[in-house]
Amino acid sequence: MIHFDNVTKVYKTQNRPALAHVNVAIEKGEFLFLVGPSGSGKSTFLRLVLKEERPSQGHVHVAGKDLSRISNWKVPHLRRRIGCVFQDFRLLPNKNVFENVAFALEVIGKPRRFINKVVPEVVDLVGLEGKQHRMPHELSGGEQQRVAIARAFVNRPMILLADEPTGNIDPATSIGIMKVLDRINRTGTTVVMATHDAAIVDAFRKRVVELEDGRVVRDQSRGVYGQAY
Amino acid sequence: MRAQFVLQEIWIGLRRNLTMTISLVITVAIAMALFGTGLLIRGQVNESKDYWYDKIEVSVFLCAKTSSNPACGKKDATQQQKDEIKAELTKMPQVSKVEYENRDQAWARFKDRFASNPAFVNSTRAGDIPDSYRIRLKNPQEYKAVVQALLGKGGVDQVINEQEILKKFFKILNGLQWAALLIALFQVVAAVLLVGNTVRLSAFNRRRETGIMRLVGASNTYIQMPFILEGAIAGLIGGIFAAILLIFSKTLLLDRLAKQMSFATQLDWMQVIMVIIVSICFGVLLCAVASFLTLRRYLRI
Repeated sequence: MIHFDNVTKVYKTQNRPALAHVNVAIEKGEFLFLVGPSGSGKSTFLRLVLKEERPSQGHVHVAGKDLSRISNWKVPHLRRRIGCVFQDFRLLPNKNVFENVAFALEVIGKPRRFINKVVPEVVDLVGLEGKQHRMPHELSGGEQQRVAIARAFVNRPMILLADEPTGNIDPATSIGIMKVLDRINRTGTTVVMATHDAAIVDAFRKRVVELEDGRVVRDQSRGVYGQAY
Repeated sequence: MRAQFVLQEIWIGLRRNLTMTISLVITVAIAMALFGTGLLIRGQVNESKDYWYDKIEVSVFLCAKTSSNPACGKKDATQQQKDEIKAELTKMPQVSKVEYENRDQAWARFKDRFASNPAFVNSTRAGDIPDSYRIRLKNPQEYKAVVQALLGKGGVDQVINEQEILKKFFKILNGLQWAALLIALFQVVAAVLLVGNTVRLSAFNRRRETGIMRLVGASNTYIQMPFILEGAIAGLIGGIFAAILLIFSKTLLLDRLAKQMSFATQLDWMQVIMVIIVSICFGVLLCAVASFLTLRRYLRI
Protein backbone atom coordinates (compact mmCIF):
# COMPACT_ATOMS: atom_id res chain seq x y z
CA MET A 1 0.00 0.00 0.00
CA ILE A 2 2.85 2.39 0.91
CA HIS A 3 6.37 1.69 -0.35
CA PHE A 4 9.39 3.83 0.43
CA ASP A 5 12.14 2.91 -1.96
CA ASN A 6 15.48 4.25 -0.73
CA VAL A 7 13.95 7.64 0.05
CA THR A 8 16.09 10.60 1.09
CA LYS A 9 14.64 14.00 1.85
CA VAL A 10 16.82 17.04 2.38
CA TYR A 11 15.07 20.34 3.08
CA LYS A 12 16.51 23.29 1.24
CA THR A 13 17.50 25.22 4.35
CA GLN A 14 19.18 22.31 6.05
CA ASN A 15 22.24 20.21 5.35
CA ARG A 16 21.26 17.22 7.43
CA PRO A 17 18.69 15.03 5.68
CA ALA A 18 15.27 14.74 7.33
CA LEU A 19 15.06 11.20 5.98
CA ALA A 20 18.02 9.17 4.73
CA HIS A 21 17.78 6.02 2.60
CA VAL A 22 14.49 4.90 4.05
CA ASN A 23 13.12 1.57 2.84
CA VAL A 24 9.74 0.68 4.28
CA ALA A 25 6.95 -1.41 2.84
CA ILE A 26 3.53 -1.16 4.42
CA GLU A 27 0.94 -3.66 3.21
CA LYS A 28 -2.77 -3.20 2.83
CA GLY A 29 -4.66 -3.42 6.09
CA GLU A 30 -1.58 -3.07 8.29
CA PHE A 31 -1.43 -0.98 11.48
CA LEU A 32 1.93 0.66 11.92
CA PHE A 33 3.41 2.83 14.65
CA LEU A 34 6.02 5.32 13.55
CA VAL A 35 8.09 6.20 16.60
CA GLY A 36 11.16 8.23 17.35
CA PRO A 37 12.17 11.50 19.02
CA SER A 38 11.11 14.91 17.70
CA GLY A 39 12.95 15.78 14.53
CA SER A 40 13.60 12.17 13.64
CA GLY A 41 11.61 12.46 10.42
CA LYS A 42 8.16 11.10 11.34
CA SER A 43 6.26 14.09 10.01
CA THR A 44 8.39 14.20 6.88
CA PHE A 45 7.48 10.56 6.31
CA LEU A 46 3.77 11.37 6.47
CA ARG A 47 4.13 14.47 4.30
CA LEU A 48 5.86 12.43 1.64
CA VAL A 49 2.95 9.99 1.54
CA LEU A 50 0.57 12.92 0.96
CA LYS A 51 2.86 14.38 -1.68
CA GLU A 52 3.08 17.57 0.36
CA GLU A 53 6.81 17.17 -0.14
CA ARG A 54 8.71 15.36 -2.82
CA PRO A 55 11.70 13.16 -2.06
CA SER A 56 15.18 14.44 -2.91
CA GLN A 57 16.09 10.88 -3.87
CA GLY A 58 14.27 7.60 -4.23
CA HIS A 59 10.61 6.89 -4.87
CA VAL A 60 7.45 6.79 -2.83
CA HIS A 61 4.70 4.46 -4.04
CA VAL A 62 1.19 4.78 -2.72
CA ALA A 63 -1.50 2.30 -3.80
CA GLY A 64 0.81 1.01 -6.51
CA LYS A 65 1.48 4.42 -7.99
CA ASP A 66 4.80 6.20 -8.09
CA LEU A 67 4.05 9.63 -6.60
CA SER A 68 6.71 11.33 -8.72
CA ARG A 69 4.66 10.31 -11.76
CA ILE A 70 1.40 11.80 -10.48
CA SER A 71 0.87 15.24 -11.97
CA ASN A 72 0.09 18.10 -9.63
CA TRP A 73 -3.52 18.43 -10.64
CA LYS A 74 -4.12 14.79 -9.73
CA VAL A 75 -2.73 15.19 -6.23
CA PRO A 76 -6.19 16.05 -4.82
CA HIS A 77 -7.42 12.67 -6.06
CA LEU A 78 -4.55 10.98 -4.23
CA ARG A 79 -5.47 12.84 -1.04
CA ARG A 80 -9.10 11.75 -1.29
CA ARG A 81 -7.89 8.20 -0.71
CA ILE A 82 -5.83 9.17 2.33
CA GLY A 83 -7.36 10.36 5.60
CA CYS A 84 -5.41 12.57 8.01
CA VAL A 85 -5.65 13.16 11.73
CA PHE A 86 -3.49 15.59 13.69
CA GLN A 87 -2.54 16.38 17.25
CA ASP A 88 -4.45 19.68 17.13
CA PHE A 89 -7.71 18.24 15.68
CA ARG A 90 -8.11 21.05 13.10
CA LEU A 91 -11.88 21.31 13.38
CA LEU A 92 -13.81 24.32 12.10
CA PRO A 93 -14.99 26.15 15.23
CA ASN A 94 -18.08 27.65 13.61
CA LYS A 95 -19.45 24.35 12.36
CA ASN A 96 -21.07 21.62 14.46
CA VAL A 97 -20.02 17.97 14.49
CA PHE A 98 -22.17 16.98 11.55
CA GLU A 99 -21.09 19.98 9.47
CA ASN A 100 -17.42 19.42 10.25
CA VAL A 101 -17.59 15.86 9.01
CA ALA A 102 -19.83 16.77 6.08
CA PHE A 103 -17.36 19.49 5.03
CA ALA A 104 -14.88 16.85 3.86
CA LEU A 105 -17.50 15.46 1.48
CA GLU A 106 -18.97 18.79 0.41
CA VAL A 107 -15.66 20.12 -0.81
CA ILE A 108 -15.13 17.12 -3.05
CA GLY A 109 -18.55 17.67 -4.54
CA LYS A 110 -20.53 14.75 -3.06
CA PRO A 111 -24.30 15.10 -3.32
CA ARG A 112 -26.32 16.16 -0.30
CA ARG A 113 -28.28 12.91 -0.15
CA PHE A 114 -25.11 10.86 0.06
CA ILE A 115 -23.74 13.14 2.79
CA ASN A 116 -26.91 12.92 4.87
CA LYS A 117 -26.70 9.15 4.74
CA VAL A 118 -22.99 8.61 5.31
CA VAL A 119 -22.10 11.24 7.92
CA PRO A 120 -24.37 9.92 10.73
CA GLU A 121 -22.98 6.42 10.18
CA VAL A 122 -19.41 7.59 10.63
CA VAL A 123 -20.30 9.79 13.60
CA ASP A 124 -21.77 6.70 15.24
CA LEU A 125 -18.72 4.62 14.28
CA VAL A 126 -16.37 6.94 16.18
CA GLY A 127 -18.63 6.83 19.21
CA LEU A 128 -20.33 10.21 19.07
CA GLU A 129 -23.95 9.04 18.85
CA GLY A 130 -26.35 11.85 19.61
CA LYS A 131 -23.68 14.57 19.52
CA GLN A 132 -24.08 15.52 15.88
CA HIS A 133 -25.29 19.02 16.66
CA ARG A 134 -22.70 19.93 19.28
CA MET A 135 -20.18 22.64 18.49
CA PRO A 136 -16.48 21.77 18.86
CA HIS A 137 -16.04 23.96 21.94
CA GLU A 138 -18.78 21.99 23.69
CA LEU A 139 -16.80 18.77 23.31
CA SER A 140 -13.88 17.33 25.30
CA GLY A 141 -10.49 16.91 23.66
CA GLY A 142 -11.09 13.22 23.12
CA GLU A 143 -14.45 13.87 21.53
CA GLN A 144 -12.97 16.52 19.25
CA GLN A 145 -10.36 14.06 18.10
CA ARG A 146 -13.14 11.56 17.35
CA VAL A 147 -14.77 14.18 15.15
CA ALA A 148 -11.46 14.68 13.35
CA ILE A 149 -11.16 10.92 12.84
CA ALA A 150 -14.72 10.77 11.54
CA ARG A 151 -13.88 13.51 9.05
CA ALA A 152 -10.73 11.69 7.95
CA PHE A 153 -12.59 8.42 7.53
CA VAL A 154 -15.93 9.56 6.10
CA ASN A 155 -14.75 9.21 2.51
CA ARG A 156 -13.58 5.65 3.26
CA PRO A 157 -9.90 6.20 2.46
CA MET A 158 -7.50 3.31 1.87
CA ILE A 159 -5.00 4.83 4.22
CA LEU A 160 -5.35 6.75 7.47
CA LEU A 161 -2.37 8.83 8.57
CA ALA A 162 -2.38 9.97 12.19
CA ASP A 163 0.25 12.41 13.38
CA GLU A 164 0.35 12.10 17.17
CA PRO A 165 -3.41 11.82 17.49
CA THR A 166 -3.17 11.31 21.26
CA GLY A 167 -0.63 14.07 21.84
CA ASN A 168 -3.17 16.46 23.40
CA ILE A 169 -5.25 13.89 25.20
CA ASP A 170 -4.99 12.28 28.63
CA PRO A 171 -4.00 8.59 28.77
CA ALA A 172 -7.42 7.25 29.71
CA THR A 173 -9.12 9.03 26.82
CA SER A 174 -6.29 8.01 24.50
CA ILE A 175 -7.29 4.38 24.89
CA GLY A 176 -10.72 5.27 23.52
CA ILE A 177 -9.16 7.01 20.54
CA MET A 178 -6.96 4.01 19.87
CA LYS A 179 -10.01 1.76 19.92
CA VAL A 180 -11.57 3.91 17.23
CA LEU A 181 -8.41 3.72 15.11
CA ASP A 182 -8.32 -0.04 15.65
CA ARG A 183 -11.96 -0.31 14.57
CA ILE A 184 -11.11 1.63 11.41
CA ASN A 185 -8.10 -0.62 10.80
CA ARG A 186 -10.39 -3.66 11.03
CA THR A 187 -12.46 -2.34 8.11
CA GLY A 188 -9.35 -2.93 5.98
CA THR A 189 -7.92 0.57 6.12
CA THR A 190 -4.17 0.83 6.43
CA VAL A 191 -3.31 2.97 9.48
CA VAL A 192 0.03 4.73 9.99
CA MET A 193 0.33 6.47 13.32
CA ALA A 194 3.26 8.62 14.34
CA THR A 195 3.47 8.82 18.10
CA HIS A 196 5.50 9.52 21.21
CA ASP A 197 3.14 7.63 23.44
CA ALA A 198 5.11 4.65 24.73
CA ALA A 199 2.25 3.26 26.78
CA ILE A 200 -0.02 3.02 23.76
CA VAL A 201 2.59 1.41 21.52
CA ASP A 202 3.41 -1.12 24.20
CA ALA A 203 -0.22 -1.91 24.86
CA PHE A 204 -1.19 -2.47 21.25
CA ARG A 205 1.67 -4.62 20.08
CA LYS A 206 1.52 -3.69 16.42
CA ARG A 207 4.30 -3.25 13.91
CA VAL A 208 6.75 -0.52 14.97
CA VAL A 209 9.11 1.44 12.74
CA GLU A 210 11.56 3.57 14.69
CA LEU A 211 13.27 6.53 13.11
CA GLU A 212 16.35 8.26 14.44
CA ASP A 213 17.97 11.18 12.64
CA GLY A 214 16.08 10.26 9.52
CA ARG A 215 17.16 6.61 9.47
CA VAL A 216 15.12 3.53 10.14
CA VAL A 217 16.80 2.00 13.17
CA ARG A 218 14.17 -0.64 13.91
CA ASP A 219 11.32 -2.32 12.02
CA GLN A 220 9.64 -4.85 14.19
CA SER A 221 6.30 -6.58 14.00
CA ARG A 222 4.39 -6.69 17.32
CA GLY A 223 7.00 -4.30 18.75
CA VAL A 224 7.22 -2.01 21.76
CA TYR A 225 8.10 1.67 22.00
CA GLY A 226 11.80 1.56 22.81
CA GLN A 227 14.73 -0.33 24.22
CA ALA A 228 14.18 1.26 27.62
CA TYR A 229 11.12 -0.92 28.02
CA MET B 1 -19.47 21.40 -7.69
CA ARG B 2 -22.23 22.13 -5.21
CA ALA B 3 -23.62 25.58 -5.88
CA GLN B 4 -25.31 26.03 -2.53
CA PHE B 5 -22.13 25.19 -0.64
CA VAL B 6 -19.97 27.50 -2.75
CA LEU B 7 -22.47 30.36 -2.41
CA GLN B 8 -22.55 29.90 1.34
CA GLU B 9 -18.76 30.07 1.50
CA ILE B 10 -18.74 33.23 -0.61
CA TRP B 11 -21.35 34.85 1.58
CA ILE B 12 -19.32 34.05 4.69
CA GLY B 13 -16.18 35.39 3.03
CA LEU B 14 -17.79 38.64 1.93
CA ARG B 15 -19.39 39.21 5.32
CA ARG B 16 -16.21 38.52 7.24
CA ASN B 17 -14.36 41.39 5.67
CA LEU B 18 -17.30 43.61 4.95
CA THR B 19 -15.46 46.93 5.15
CA MET B 20 -12.88 45.71 2.66
CA THR B 21 -15.64 44.56 0.35
CA ILE B 22 -17.42 47.90 0.58
CA SER B 23 -14.30 49.85 -0.28
CA LEU B 24 -13.67 47.48 -3.16
CA VAL B 25 -17.20 47.95 -4.46
CA ILE B 26 -16.88 51.74 -4.29
CA THR B 27 -13.52 51.77 -6.03
CA VAL B 28 -14.71 49.48 -8.79
CA ALA B 29 -17.88 51.54 -9.21
CA ILE B 30 -15.93 54.75 -9.67
CA ALA B 31 -13.35 53.13 -11.91
CA MET B 32 -15.96 51.58 -14.15
CA ALA B 33 -18.12 54.71 -14.22
CA LEU B 34 -15.17 56.77 -15.40
CA PHE B 35 -14.11 54.13 -17.87
CA GLY B 36 -17.66 53.99 -19.20
CA THR B 37 -17.89 57.77 -19.34
CA GLY B 38 -14.75 57.78 -21.44
CA LEU B 39 -16.36 55.31 -23.81
CA LEU B 40 -19.59 57.32 -23.90
CA ILE B 41 -17.73 60.50 -24.82
CA ARG B 42 -15.92 58.64 -27.53
CA GLY B 43 -19.26 57.40 -28.82
CA GLN B 44 -20.64 60.94 -28.71
CA VAL B 45 -17.68 62.26 -30.66
CA ASN B 46 -17.97 59.57 -33.31
CA GLU B 47 -21.69 60.00 -33.67
CA SER B 48 -21.42 63.79 -33.90
CA LYS B 49 -18.65 63.46 -36.45
CA ASP B 50 -20.73 61.15 -38.61
CA TYR B 51 -23.68 63.47 -38.32
CA TRP B 52 -21.83 66.68 -39.02
CA TYR B 53 -19.40 65.49 -41.64
CA ASP B 54 -22.46 64.74 -43.73
CA LYS B 55 -23.64 68.31 -43.47
CA ILE B 56 -20.37 70.13 -43.25
CA GLU B 57 -19.79 72.86 -45.82
CA VAL B 58 -17.16 75.28 -46.91
CA SER B 59 -18.76 78.69 -47.42
CA VAL B 60 -17.27 81.16 -49.86
CA PHE B 61 -18.64 84.60 -49.09
CA LEU B 62 -18.50 86.97 -52.02
CA CYS B 63 -17.58 90.60 -51.88
CA ALA B 64 -20.30 93.06 -50.98
CA LYS B 65 -20.38 96.80 -50.47
CA THR B 66 -20.38 96.28 -46.73
CA SER B 67 -17.46 93.82 -46.54
CA SER B 68 -14.37 95.00 -44.68
CA ASN B 69 -11.89 93.06 -46.81
CA PRO B 70 -9.77 95.67 -48.69
CA ALA B 71 -9.41 93.32 -51.67
CA CYS B 72 -13.12 93.81 -52.34
CA GLY B 73 -12.78 97.58 -52.56
CA LYS B 74 -16.31 98.20 -51.22
CA LYS B 75 -17.83 96.77 -54.35
CA ASP B 76 -20.11 93.85 -54.99
CA ALA B 77 -18.58 90.93 -56.82
CA THR B 78 -19.28 91.16 -60.52
CA GLN B 79 -21.17 88.51 -62.43
CA GLN B 80 -17.96 87.67 -64.29
CA GLN B 81 -16.13 87.02 -61.02
CA LYS B 82 -18.97 84.85 -59.81
CA ASP B 83 -18.86 82.80 -62.97
CA GLU B 84 -15.10 82.36 -62.70
CA ILE B 85 -15.36 81.13 -59.12
CA LYS B 86 -18.15 78.80 -60.06
CA ALA B 87 -16.14 77.39 -62.97
CA GLU B 88 -13.07 76.97 -60.73
CA LEU B 89 -15.09 75.13 -58.10
CA THR B 90 -16.79 72.72 -60.45
CA LYS B 91 -13.40 71.81 -61.88
CA MET B 92 -11.96 70.78 -58.51
CA PRO B 93 -11.96 67.02 -57.93
CA GLN B 94 -12.58 67.35 -54.16
CA VAL B 95 -15.86 69.18 -54.60
CA SER B 96 -19.03 67.20 -54.84
CA LYS B 97 -21.64 69.95 -54.98
CA VAL B 98 -21.72 73.70 -55.33
CA GLU B 99 -24.74 75.81 -54.52
CA TYR B 100 -25.23 79.51 -54.96
CA GLU B 101 -27.07 81.26 -52.18
CA ASN B 102 -28.17 84.84 -52.58
CA ARG B 103 -28.74 87.36 -49.79
CA ASP B 104 -32.45 86.68 -49.38
CA GLN B 105 -32.00 82.94 -49.17
CA ALA B 106 -29.14 83.38 -46.70
CA TRP B 107 -31.23 85.68 -44.53
CA ALA B 108 -34.14 83.23 -44.53
CA ARG B 109 -31.87 80.41 -43.54
CA PHE B 110 -30.26 82.49 -40.81
CA LYS B 111 -33.62 83.43 -39.32
CA ASP B 112 -34.69 79.82 -39.40
CA ARG B 113 -31.55 78.54 -37.74
CA PHE B 114 -31.52 81.03 -34.91
CA ALA B 115 -35.28 81.18 -34.45
CA SER B 116 -34.79 80.34 -30.79
CA ASN B 117 -32.65 83.45 -30.30
CA PRO B 118 -34.79 86.44 -31.39
CA ALA B 119 -32.39 89.06 -29.97
CA PHE B 120 -29.68 87.79 -32.23
CA VAL B 121 -32.00 87.77 -35.25
CA ASN B 122 -33.27 91.29 -34.52
CA SER B 123 -29.80 92.75 -34.42
CA THR B 124 -29.16 91.54 -37.92
CA ARG B 125 -30.68 92.93 -41.07
CA ALA B 126 -31.45 91.37 -44.41
CA GLY B 127 -28.46 91.92 -46.65
CA ASP B 128 -25.89 91.65 -43.85
CA ILE B 129 -25.08 88.23 -45.05
CA PRO B 130 -23.49 88.44 -48.47
CA ASP B 131 -24.03 86.15 -51.44
CA SER B 132 -22.11 82.93 -51.11
CA TYR B 133 -21.22 79.63 -52.64
CA ARG B 134 -21.93 76.67 -50.39
CA ILE B 135 -19.58 73.86 -51.19
CA ARG B 136 -20.07 70.27 -50.17
CA LEU B 137 -16.82 68.28 -50.19
CA LYS B 138 -16.45 64.65 -51.12
CA ASN B 139 -14.22 64.13 -48.10
CA PRO B 140 -14.52 66.81 -45.40
CA GLN B 141 -10.88 66.25 -44.40
CA GLU B 142 -9.63 67.55 -47.75
CA TYR B 143 -10.73 71.12 -47.27
CA LYS B 144 -7.27 72.68 -47.32
CA ALA B 145 -6.66 72.60 -51.09
CA VAL B 146 -10.07 74.09 -51.75
CA VAL B 147 -9.59 76.89 -49.25
CA GLN B 148 -6.12 77.63 -50.60
CA ALA B 149 -7.35 77.86 -54.19
CA LEU B 150 -10.14 80.27 -53.33
CA LEU B 151 -8.35 82.68 -51.03
CA GLY B 152 -7.25 85.81 -52.83
CA LYS B 153 -9.40 85.23 -55.89
CA GLY B 154 -11.17 88.23 -57.26
CA GLY B 155 -14.58 88.73 -55.71
CA VAL B 156 -13.94 86.43 -52.75
CA ASP B 157 -14.38 88.03 -49.36
CA GLN B 158 -14.03 85.17 -46.89
CA VAL B 159 -13.75 81.39 -46.95
CA ILE B 160 -15.18 79.77 -43.88
CA ASN B 161 -14.66 76.15 -43.15
CA GLU B 162 -17.31 74.89 -40.72
CA GLN B 163 -15.05 72.10 -39.70
CA GLU B 164 -12.90 74.52 -37.73
CA ILE B 165 -15.87 75.28 -35.51
CA LEU B 166 -16.66 71.62 -34.95
CA LYS B 167 -13.06 70.90 -34.12
CA LYS B 168 -13.27 73.04 -30.99
CA PHE B 169 -16.21 71.03 -29.76
CA PHE B 170 -14.48 67.76 -30.47
CA LYS B 171 -11.37 68.99 -28.74
CA ILE B 172 -13.30 69.60 -25.53
CA LEU B 173 -14.92 66.20 -25.74
CA ASN B 174 -11.61 64.52 -26.48
CA GLY B 175 -10.03 66.21 -23.49
CA LEU B 176 -12.87 65.02 -21.29
CA GLN B 177 -12.58 61.54 -22.67
CA TRP B 178 -8.88 61.25 -21.91
CA ALA B 179 -9.29 62.80 -18.47
CA ALA B 180 -11.98 60.25 -17.63
CA LEU B 181 -9.91 57.36 -18.94
CA LEU B 182 -6.81 58.54 -17.09
CA ILE B 183 -8.58 58.78 -13.76
CA ALA B 184 -10.22 55.45 -14.51
CA LEU B 185 -6.77 53.97 -15.00
CA PHE B 186 -5.66 55.13 -11.56
CA GLN B 187 -8.84 53.77 -10.06
CA VAL B 188 -8.27 50.45 -11.80
CA VAL B 189 -4.81 50.26 -10.24
CA ALA B 190 -6.34 51.03 -6.84
CA ALA B 191 -9.01 48.39 -7.42
CA VAL B 192 -6.44 45.74 -8.32
CA LEU B 193 -4.45 46.49 -5.18
CA LEU B 194 -7.61 46.41 -3.09
CA VAL B 195 -8.59 43.07 -4.56
CA GLY B 196 -5.14 41.81 -3.64
CA ASN B 197 -5.56 42.94 -0.04
CA THR B 198 -9.09 41.60 0.20
CA VAL B 199 -8.01 38.24 -1.07
CA ARG B 200 -5.07 38.18 1.30
CA LEU B 201 -7.33 38.91 4.26
CA SER B 202 -9.86 36.44 3.05
CA ALA B 203 -7.25 33.73 2.56
CA PHE B 204 -5.94 34.43 6.04
CA ASN B 205 -9.43 34.33 7.55
CA ARG B 206 -10.16 31.06 5.87
CA ARG B 207 -6.80 29.35 6.27
CA ARG B 208 -8.35 26.63 8.45
CA GLU B 209 -10.99 25.83 5.85
CA THR B 210 -8.59 25.86 2.93
CA GLY B 211 -6.09 23.77 4.89
CA ILE B 212 -8.73 21.13 5.50
CA MET B 213 -9.95 21.32 1.93
CA ARG B 214 -6.45 20.62 0.73
CA LEU B 215 -6.10 17.77 3.14
CA VAL B 216 -9.29 15.97 2.17
CA GLY B 217 -8.48 16.34 -1.52
CA ALA B 218 -10.66 19.18 -2.73
CA SER B 219 -9.59 20.15 -6.24
CA ASN B 220 -7.72 23.38 -6.75
CA THR B 221 -10.62 24.95 -8.58
CA TYR B 222 -12.89 24.13 -5.66
CA ILE B 223 -10.50 25.74 -3.22
CA GLN B 224 -9.96 28.83 -5.35
CA MET B 225 -13.48 29.27 -6.65
CA PRO B 226 -14.97 30.99 -3.57
CA PHE B 227 -12.15 33.57 -3.56
CA ILE B 228 -12.42 34.30 -7.26
CA LEU B 229 -16.21 34.49 -7.10
CA GLU B 230 -15.93 36.75 -4.07
CA GLY B 231 -13.88 39.14 -6.18
CA ALA B 232 -16.21 38.74 -9.13
CA ILE B 233 -19.30 39.46 -7.05
CA ALA B 234 -17.71 42.58 -5.56
CA GLY B 235 -16.86 43.57 -9.14
CA LEU B 236 -20.42 42.91 -10.25
CA ILE B 237 -21.95 45.04 -7.48
CA GLY B 238 -19.44 47.76 -8.29
CA GLY B 239 -20.39 47.44 -11.95
CA ILE B 240 -24.08 47.85 -11.17
CA PHE B 241 -23.36 51.03 -9.24
CA ALA B 242 -21.23 52.15 -12.16
CA ALA B 243 -24.20 51.54 -14.48
CA ILE B 244 -26.30 53.92 -12.40
CA LEU B 245 -23.53 56.51 -12.46
CA LEU B 246 -23.24 56.09 -16.23
CA ILE B 247 -26.92 56.78 -16.74
CA PHE B 248 -26.41 59.97 -14.75
CA SER B 249 -23.37 60.91 -16.74
CA LYS B 250 -25.30 60.44 -19.98
CA THR B 251 -28.29 62.53 -18.91
CA LEU B 252 -26.49 65.12 -16.82
CA LEU B 253 -23.21 65.53 -18.65
CA LEU B 254 -23.38 64.54 -22.29
CA ASP B 255 -26.95 65.49 -23.12
CA ARG B 256 -26.55 68.86 -21.46
CA LEU B 257 -23.28 69.51 -23.15
CA ALA B 258 -24.71 68.58 -26.52
CA LYS B 259 -27.69 70.84 -25.93
CA GLN B 260 -25.60 73.77 -24.84
CA MET B 261 -23.33 73.50 -27.84
CA SER B 262 -26.49 73.32 -29.98
CA PHE B 263 -25.38 70.06 -31.49
CA ALA B 264 -28.32 68.05 -32.62
CA THR B 265 -27.07 64.54 -31.95
CA GLN B 266 -27.75 62.82 -28.66
CA LEU B 267 -26.16 59.53 -27.89
CA ASP B 268 -28.82 56.87 -28.26
CA TRP B 269 -29.59 54.57 -25.35
CA MET B 270 -28.56 51.43 -27.22
CA GLN B 271 -25.02 52.68 -27.12
CA VAL B 272 -25.28 53.55 -23.43
CA ILE B 273 -26.48 50.03 -22.70
CA MET B 274 -23.57 48.59 -24.68
CA VAL B 275 -21.13 50.70 -22.68
CA ILE B 276 -22.77 49.61 -19.42
CA ILE B 277 -22.47 45.96 -20.39
CA VAL B 278 -18.84 46.42 -21.36
CA SER B 279 -17.99 48.19 -18.09
CA ILE B 280 -19.74 45.60 -15.95
CA CYS B 281 -17.97 42.76 -17.74
CA PHE B 282 -14.67 44.59 -17.43
CA GLY B 283 -15.22 45.19 -13.71
CA VAL B 284 -16.10 41.56 -13.03
CA LEU B 285 -13.20 40.29 -15.10
CA LEU B 286 -10.77 42.72 -13.52
CA CYS B 287 -11.65 41.59 -10.00
CA ALA B 288 -11.75 37.90 -10.85
CA VAL B 289 -8.37 37.95 -12.58
CA ALA B 290 -6.82 40.05 -9.84
CA SER B 291 -8.08 37.61 -7.18
CA PHE B 292 -6.82 34.67 -9.17
CA LEU B 293 -3.36 36.18 -9.50
CA THR B 294 -3.06 37.16 -5.83
CA LEU B 295 -4.42 33.78 -4.74
CA ARG B 296 -1.41 32.10 -6.21
CA ARG B 297 0.71 34.05 -3.75
CA TYR B 298 -1.33 33.69 -0.62
CA LEU B 299 -3.04 30.34 -0.93
CA ARG B 300 -1.08 27.15 -0.94
CA ILE B 301 -2.76 24.54 -3.00
